[in-house]
Order: sequence, then C-alpha cells, then structure tokens
Amino acid sequence: MEAPMIKITDLEKFYRTEEVETIALNKLSIEVKTGEFVAIMGPSGCGKSTLLNILGMLDDPDEGSYVFNGVEVAHFTERKRADLRKHNIGFVFQSFNLIDELTVFENVELPLIYTGVPSAERVKRVEEVLDKMQIMHRRNHYPQQLSGGQQQRVAIARAVVNKPKLILADEPTGNLDSSNGNDVMELLTDLNEQGTTIIMVTHSEHDARYSHRIIRLLDGQTVVENIMI
Amino acid sequence: MIRNYVKTAFRSLMKNKGFTFINVLGLALGLATCLLIVFYVFDELSYDRYNVKADRIYRLNNDIKFGGLENSYAITPAPAAAALKGDFPEIEQVARLRNRGGNQVKKGTQDIQEDRMVYADNSIFDIFTLPMIAGNPARALVDPHTMVITEDMARKYFGRVNVIGQVLTINDSVQFKVTGVIKNIPKQSHFHFDFYMSMPTIAESKSAAWFSNNFGTYILLKPGADPKVFAAKLNDFMARHAGSQLQAILHMDFKTLEKSGSYFRLSIIPLTKIHLQSNSVDEIEANGSISYVYIFSATAIFILLIACVNFMNLSTARSANRAREVGVRKVLGSPRSALIAQFLTESILVTLVGAIIAVLAAWSMLGLFNQMSGKDLTVTPQILGWLIPALLIIILVVGCLAGSYPALFLSGFQPIKVLKGKLAGGFKGGMLRSILVVVQFTISIILIVSTMVISNQLKYIQSKDLGYNRDHVLVIKNVWALGNAAKTFKQEVRQLAGVQGATLSNALPTDENGNSTTYFKDPVIDQKRSVLTFDWNIDEDFIPTLGIKMAAGRNFSKDMATDSTGIVINEAFAKQLGYANPVNQFLYTPADQMATKTTKYHIIGVVKDFNFKSLRTNVTPLVFVLDQNIGDLSVRINSADIPSLMAKIKDQWKGLSPNRQFSYVFMDDNFDALYRSEERMGAISIAFTSLAIVIACLGLFGLAAYAAEQRIKEIGIRKVLGADISTIVNMLSKDFIKLVLIAIAIAVPFAWWAMHGWLQGFAYKQNIQWWVPATAGVSAILIAFLTISFQAIKAALTNPVTSLRSE
Ligand SMILES: Nc1ncnc2c1ncn2[C@@H]1O[C@H](COP(=O)(O)OP(=O)(O)OP(=O)(O)O)[C@@H](O)[C@H]1O
Ligand SMILES: [Mg+2]
Repeated sequence: MEAPMIKITDLEKFYRTEEVETIALNKLSIEVKTGEFVAIMGPSGCGKSTLLNILGMLDDPDEGSYVFNGVEVAHFTERKRADLRKHNIGFVFQSFNLIDELTVFENVELPLIYTGVPSAERVKRVEEVLDKMQIMHRRNHYPQQLSGGQQQRVAIARAVVNKPKLILADEPTGNLDSSNGNDVMELLTDLNEQGTTIIMVTHSEHDARYSHRIIRLLDGQTVVENIMI
Repeated sequence: MIRNYVKTAFRSLMKNKGFTFINVLGLALGLATCLLIVFYVFDELSYDRYNVKADRIYRLNNDIKFGGLENSYAITPAPAAAALKGDFPEIEQVARLRNRGGNQVKKGTQDIQEDRMVYADNSIFDIFTLPMIAGNPARALVDPHTMVITEDMARKYFGRVNVIGQVLTINDSVQFKVTGVIKNIPKQSHFHFDFYMSMPTIAESKSAAWFSNNFGTYILLKPGADPKVFAAKLNDFMARHAGSQLQAILHMDFKTLEKSGSYFRLSIIPLTKIHLQSNSVDEIEANGSISYVYIFSATAIFILLIACVNFMNLSTARSANRAREVGVRKVLGSPRSALIAQFLTESILVTLVGAIIAVLAAWSMLGLFNQMSGKDLTVTPQILGWLIPALLIIILVVGCLAGSYPALFLSGFQPIKVLKGKLAGGFKGGMLRSILVVVQFTISIILIVSTMVISNQLKYIQSKDLGYNRDHVLVIKNVWALGNAAKTFKQEVRQLAGVQGATLSNALPTDENGNSTTYFKDPVIDQKRSVLTFDWNIDEDFIPTLGIKMAAGRNFSKDMATDSTGIVINEAFAKQLGYANPVNQFLYTPADQMATKTTKYHIIGVVKDFNFKSLRTNVTPLVFVLDQNIGDLSVRINSADIPSLMAKIKDQWKGLSPNRQFSYVFMDDNFDALYRSEERMGAISIAFTSLAIVIACLGLFGLAAYAAEQRIKEIGIRKVLGADISTIVNMLSKDFIKLVLIAIAIAVPFAWWAMHGWLQGFAYKQNIQWWVPATAGVSAILIAFLTISFQAIKAALTNPVTSLRSE
C-alpha cells in the first residue's frame, strides 16, 4: 500500500496562559494520503486551526509524531520547517491575508521570490496562474480594489503558484457569499483533480461535500470520519 | 471633566508602558541637557552684570598697528584717564587698574605668593559695584601705601573681617595699611583681584608717557551719553594729547603716521562685552568666547529639537493604533472637542512628567557638568524665577505640538473609515515622520563630525612639534623674589642628580608672558624700519634647556663679556628685518619712554621659530636679551623619582629663603592649560553628541517598534510564504536606512562648512580629512541599523500563527 503523505500519531498541543491550560489537540491521530481532499469540521474552538497550523509546519506540536512524506518533522528546527514548507505547502486563509501594499501580481509572485525562482520564469508562472484563476485583467490592482471573491482567487493563485503538493485551506469560503464560495470550491476541486492534496477546514456542510472525506473534531479529538466517496 | 481626561490619559499611557517610557525618557534627557546648557549660557552672559552701572561702563582699548604687527591692547597710557575726564563733560568718572603681577604677602613669618594684586585709583569704587564692608569708599585708596582687600583675604590674613588699620607687608619690604574690606568679587567678573593697592603708591601712576601702555582704563559715562558719539572723538583726543610726544619720538604727526599705514588709536568696549567679545592683548584674565556661547546655544536647541521631534513622532505613531478607539468613541457620540481635549491632556501629561524628570536629572548632573565645563553653576532663586515659567511654556508648546497632530487628524476622521481600518494604511507612510527622522539624524551626524574634528585638532595640537621640548620641565615660580640669590639657587639645583639643565627667564612659551617692544634698524628712529616684537629676558642656558634650535649664529655665552649687548632673534623677526644674513647686524631700541636715547644691540644668533604662543596664532617676532636673577626657573629633569627630586629642590629653596612659598608647575600642564577651553569643548561636545545620538536612537527604536507592529501581519504572511529572517530584517531596516542616508547627504556638507569655520581660529590646524565624515556616516548607519534590527529581528522571529490569528 502506498505510504500516506501525512501521518500524525498521538499529537498533543497545549496553550498555557497565566491561569488556564487549554488542551487544543488531545492525542490526535490522522492519516492523509497523497491526492486526497479532506475536510475538517467541528465546533468553534475544537482545535481545527491549531491542527492545520501544525500540518502546515507553522507551529510545532508539544507531543506526538508528525511524519510528512516519510520524514519525521515534529521537532524540526524553524529553518528546516520553513524550507520544507515553502517548497511543498500552499496556504489559503479565511481572511485572504493578501499584502495591502503589493499588487495582485506582486502578491502572487512572492512565494516564487522566496524559493529563488529567476525573474523571467516568475513572470511566466504568475501570468499562467492568474490566467487560470481568471484575474489576469486585475494584475496591477491592489487588494483593496478587489471584491472578496476576487481576493480569495488571488490568495489561491498565490497558494498554488509554486506547485505545492499540499494545500491547506482554513475556512476559505468563510468570508464569501455562496456564489463566490462555490467558485472557490470549484477551483480547489480542479486543483485536487490535477493531483494536489487538499486539507480544508470548514463550518459548511455544503462545502464539505466537495471533499472525499470529513474528519470531525471535538475538543481536540477525532470523533468520526465520514468517507464521502 | 479634566479629571476624567487625566484618568483616561493615565490609563492609556500605562497600557503602552514601553512607548510611554521611551517617550518620557527621550524628552527628559533632551530637556535636561538643554537646561544645563541654558544655565551655562546664562552664566556666560551674566558677566560683569553685578555692576549696578554696568550699562554705562566702558573700557578703553588701544588699537595699534606698528612695526609690522596689528593688535588691540586692553592696556592704555597712564595719563589717558585724567585727560579724558578733563576733556569730556559726558564722562562721569574714570579709573585705572595697573596689574604688576603677583607679590609675596607676609602672614606671620610666612611669605605667601598672591597673584591677584593690582594697583587701583580710588575712583574704582565710583564705577564698579564693590560693596565695602568696612572702610570709607570715598577715601580708601587716596593715600599712598593703603590697600583695600576682599573679605576672604581679611579672613586669610587676620582671621576676621574688620581689619581696618592693620598692616600687610609686601615682598618683605613695603608696608600697606588696610583701609577697606570689600565683599568678594563675584565669579562672573572679568577681574578677580583680591588686593587693591592705592595708585599713588607707584610713581608710574603719574607718568606722562603716551606711548607706554600699562594701565587698564575704565570710563563711566553720564546717563544718556551716547557712547558712539564719544568714541568718535577719541582719535582727535589722542592727537591733541600725544601729538607732541609722537613728534619727539618718530618726528611726524598722527596724520602722516596713519598715511604710512601705522596707527595708535583709542577705542572703547562696553564692560558687559569684555568677557565674551574681547580678546585683546593683556586682558586681565583669559576671557570666555562668544562663539562657544553660540555653539552651545545651537547645540541646546538641536538637542531639544531632537527630543521634541522624537516625542511628536512617537506620539503620532502611537495614536494611529488608537484610530479604532477614536472610531468607537465617535460612534458612541463623543464630540470632536472632547477627543481633542483627550489627546492634548495625554500629551501634556507626558511632557509634564518628562519635564519633572528633566529638572531632577539636570540638577543631579550639575556637579558633573561643572567639572566638564570648568564652571561653578548653582541653582539660585533668580534662575528658578525664569526657569519655571520657561519650563511651563516648553511643556505647553511641546505637549500641544505633539498632541495636536493626533488630536486634530484622528478626531476629524469619519468614524466608519477609522473602524474599517483604512486609516492605518494611509498613516503608515508618514511623510511627516520620515522628515522628522531625517532631521534628527542630520543633527546627530553634524554633532558627530564636529566632535571628531574638535578631538582631531586637539590631538594635533598635543602632538605637533612646537620647536621646543616641554616634556619633563619643571617650572619653579617666582625665583626672582630671591633677588641675587636666584642665581645661587639655579646653580644648586643644577648640581642635583636627575637635573639635566636649569634656566632663569622672565617668559616661557607656555605662559602668555613677555613685554612688547619696538626695535629699529637705525640709531635714528624711523617707524618704517621697525619691528614690533616680544622681548624676553633669558640666561645663556635657556635655549639648550628648552631644546630650541639655532638657525644661524650662536647662543649667549658666559665667556663673552660683550653678550650683555648681544641679542638673539627668531626667524620671524629675521624675516621682517629683511637682511640676507642678520647675524652681526645691529638693532636699536628706545632707552627711555621719550626715545631721547637708544640702546644698541648686536645680533649674535637666530633661533628657529618655535610656537611660543597658542597655536591659534602664527609665530610672531621674538627677541632674547641676556639677564639674570629674573622670573621663573625652568628645570629639565631626567629622574624617574620626581617626588624625591622635588623634595631636594624644595630643601634648597628653604635653605635660601625659609619664609617664602615654594610653588611650581609642570610645563606640559601649563601647555595643556593654554588649550583648556578647546579641551572642555571637546569633552562637552562628546557628551552632547552621545546624548543626541542616544535620544535619536530612542526615537528610532520606538519608530522601528511601531513600524514592525504595523507590519506584523504582513511579516506573518511573508513568513508563511517562505520568507526567512534575514529577508524580513532587511525589509524592515531598508526604509529607515534610506532616511539616514538622506540625513548624511544633508549633514556632511553642513558640518564640513561649520567646522572648517571653527578651524579658521587656528593658525596651525589639521584640515578635515575625508574619513571624518565617512566615519560619521558609517557610524550613523551602523547605529541606526543596530537600533532597528533589534526590533526587526524581534518581529521576524514572531510566530506567524500568532500574528495572523489576531484578525
Ligand atoms: N495562542 C493561543 N493561546 C491560547 N489559547 C489558544 C491559542 N490558540 C488557540 N487557543 C485555544 O485552543 C483551542 C483551539 O483553537 P483553534 O483556533 O484551533 O480552534 P478552531 O477549531 O479553529 O475554532 P474556530 O472554528 O473558531 O476557528 C481554543 O480553545 C483556543 O482558545
Ligand atoms: Mg479556526
């Protein structure tokens, strides 16, 4: 059997503030195979974003193991994680997180700059994805000049421009109306069909139906896994 | 209502402790420095103001161009005072001071050297405000051999204040009756004599010679008299009184003299300008300098400016973060005026705290500052009288300026825009803030360059070959007082182990000493063939002991009886003489004040020029004539055990003169004293520069923190997308470094120009090297970068999860 792209075992994450200790993830174990489209659902505060951040190597777990493509990364240094991240993972956020001072083109170009892609190649690749996302005509606009749906498309363009193997999306439709939300889901589905693994956090059962499988969390633990297909 | 504003302001300040701290600290530092400088400047400006009639008192100056030299003298002819009073009805009173240097004053069996002694006309009490504690100011100095002393001297010699009728013995021979005791002379005075001996005591006071200058002459004009009108009449006055003597000496009248390019002119300087603006020959004491007052004032303004700029910068930066608060308040119905009042209260509150800290800091640093500046500043009720209102004004102005931008700008916004966060974006660029940062760094860089130029020049002075050797030379003062035993003392000292040489002379290169005399090329005096020169009396050991080199001819010799009419000149003198070979030529100088006879000298040698005055001036003509039993004894020592050698020398002294005070200085200490004011300037400007840089960096630190905070989300996004730490640090530093570069471009030419001007005050100077501005610029960039990178690295290390969460 093919080895999973992601395999986490007994993962724990605590948050300590002065008075209370919150257990955000409690001995959580999950596997995601290459090419899967997984939705993560659960009530607010159950640890979905925490999980996604750890999967995206933005944060490290307190306990447990995280094997990414066969490599244990749970205790990687910041630098190694950053390196692995920028070549393999793209992010899409609920609040888009575009940089206000940069144009659409420049926003999408950023990941390429950070992975050291030469300038001519960058132009080609940015234009390619902008075309695919149908926002080429907005390439010189600033984020504030775009609608929410357009901004999220730019964010997705930015997430995929480096051709990552994995896309992590945290409530990508949370700030969008249903029509724009559907567009975004179509885009993600397309990407998945072209081979990209996608893990998406969502509150919407409607959006979750685009995925192959739903992982339901409660208080940092897996409750059920529904296989959609 | 006000209470409510203050309460809210206090809370908001406490919420941002870091910002508040930096803000208050920067302002307090700046204000404290500024206060110290203001104390200094006011002290300098207050000289001689203790005189109730200060605005009507003038000193007579003698401006002379003769024998190739042009100088202004603080001393004038003896008969000038009386003649002025006789001629001009607008003069209320005149008085003379004749400074003949120090004397030995007997206390019990001890002879104590006193240097602050002067002969004075009784009328000084009509002109200067010298309150008499005991005695009659109308008569105290009328009779010969009477003297007025200060309170301190009365205590020193008699242990009490009222000592009228007591007698003091001077130089073991002359007795003076004390006829008055005056209060001590205030520090802010251009003279600080302790003993005022009656003028009629000395025959010289009745001299009628108009071409011999020895007397300081002070004039009190009647109220309403116009000093300009009076001064314009002085040339005619001189011609009227001195014309016949000029005719007798130089065989010409004043008009002819002026036509030939020479002159003897009288002028006046207001008493209150003497300390800062007069730098004549034979000033009673080394005066201050108006240019330092200007430089210090400018520095004070600069530093206050930097501190205030900082304060405003940080306040406005911080207020952008409060846009949301403003929005909410407006939505809830707060009127604009209430918001303005709120912001102003807050900023005035901070300024007030800063000012209080500043006053305390300035007060506690006063001792240190006094040490550096050589001043003795104290906080008097009089100072507080203007200080407190001035501070209140500063607090209001700075507080309002710093608060006005956020107050007016933010409170004027539409709440909906503010709430949407649009403001923060527009505010980020902050053109105003960039300009302010440039201003701060421009000032800092100017200060760095100036400090470097000053300390380079000081180093240059220290290391320049002056043409004589001042190291390991001990100068024993007032050996002349031993009379004929001076020579014996010299011989005995020479015999001691560890002594290489010893020489008696009435002047030394490290003392501004020596008389001015005119020498002529011919026995019949012709002013066109004259050289005005300093005239030193030395012995035959002087030239070798001080390591002065011969350029031609020979030194004085013990074995040549004729050397008493020999003369040694320096190269500057030789150049003015114009002979191809000056050795064996002759020089003539008037033998008496009316030049009825001349004395003939035979030039036996020429010494290489050496810097016998401060390096501010070029080497001027100088002659040596042979003498004995004179002045001070300079001893070149090569002993490592200086204390025991000193003890031996002192024993010899005590053997010859048990009662006389033994006092000495080291020549290189004396040399340093010549440049003390520059040295002080150097120390003070280093201190000020460091402060300015610290304050500017505090500001930059705060701004960098602010910028990092503003961009924290962007940094988070970039990190998620793969940016590494150095990329982020770079990105954050770049904008600030750009501003520092602009500052360098403005500051360097300005600093170069200003310091070039300062260096013009030195005849011998080290021109500004290219690496001075380069170092200043590079260090400014480095300092700025270090300051910023601290914040930048902090921001770059922040976990992006945290910064992106705060949405
Ligand atoms: N930095 C933090 N400090 C303290 N507690 C935290 C921190 N981040 C998350 N938590 C806590 O951990 C738990 C999980 O948070 P997380 O953001 O993962 O929830 P979520 O499932 O994504 O919720 P939502 O659906 O509202 O986005 C919550 O109880 C939250 O309060
Ligand atoms: Mg979440």
